[in-house]
Amino acid sequence: NEKKKKESIFDLSKYIDKPIRVKFQGGREASGVLKGFDPLLNLVLDGTIEYMRDPDDQYKLTEDTRQLGLVVCRGTSVVLICPQDGMEAIPNPFIQQQEG
Amino acid sequence: LAACPCLNSAMFNLVSELVDKCIGSRIHIVMKNDKEIVGTLLGFDDFVNMVLEDVTEFEITPEGRRITKLDQILLNGNNITMLIPGGEGPEM
Repeated sequence: NEKKKKESIFDLSKYIDKPIRVKFQGGREASGVLKGFDPLLNLVLDGTIEYMRDPDDQYKLTEDTRQLGLVVCRGTSVVLICPQDGMEAIPNPFIQQQEG
Repeated sequence: LAACPCLNSAMFNLVSELVDKCIGSRIHIVMKNDKEIVGTLLGFDDFVNMVLEDVTEFEITPEGRRITKLDQILLNGNNITMLIPGGEGPEM
């Protein structure tokens, strides 16, 4: 039986040396410069900042951040990767506007 | 690049290379939940289960509880989110 070759559906090398945003299972979020990665989506980020969550609502971000420096992110925990300049916060588009 | 004395400024393509270079040094592990572990890295396996010694465990959500354990622990890699070589843990 031929073993199925593990192919990546996405090439992270275009993000090397660029700042990226990473979201994790459990709600943590961080951003940093991508210095390396492997096929299992483990990442090496430099100059990493973690965005801290509201203690009362763990899915809400606060203004608080902390500096972590050079960090290895476990691919098993990563749920989203995007370029840092490819995202912005917007008002909730799903709230029904009350008609006067 | 980092406070860990075993690292140079070369770019890492393989994450396991980076963690391997930290064997014998302090490392700060951030879990998926609000728990963090600081210890000296003795070794790890393919699943990034880790053996650490001289370990301090931090719970972040309450006012900053700290639990110190000595000797060695085997840390289950299932819930590890981030590894910070040379890290000393969260500010308390």
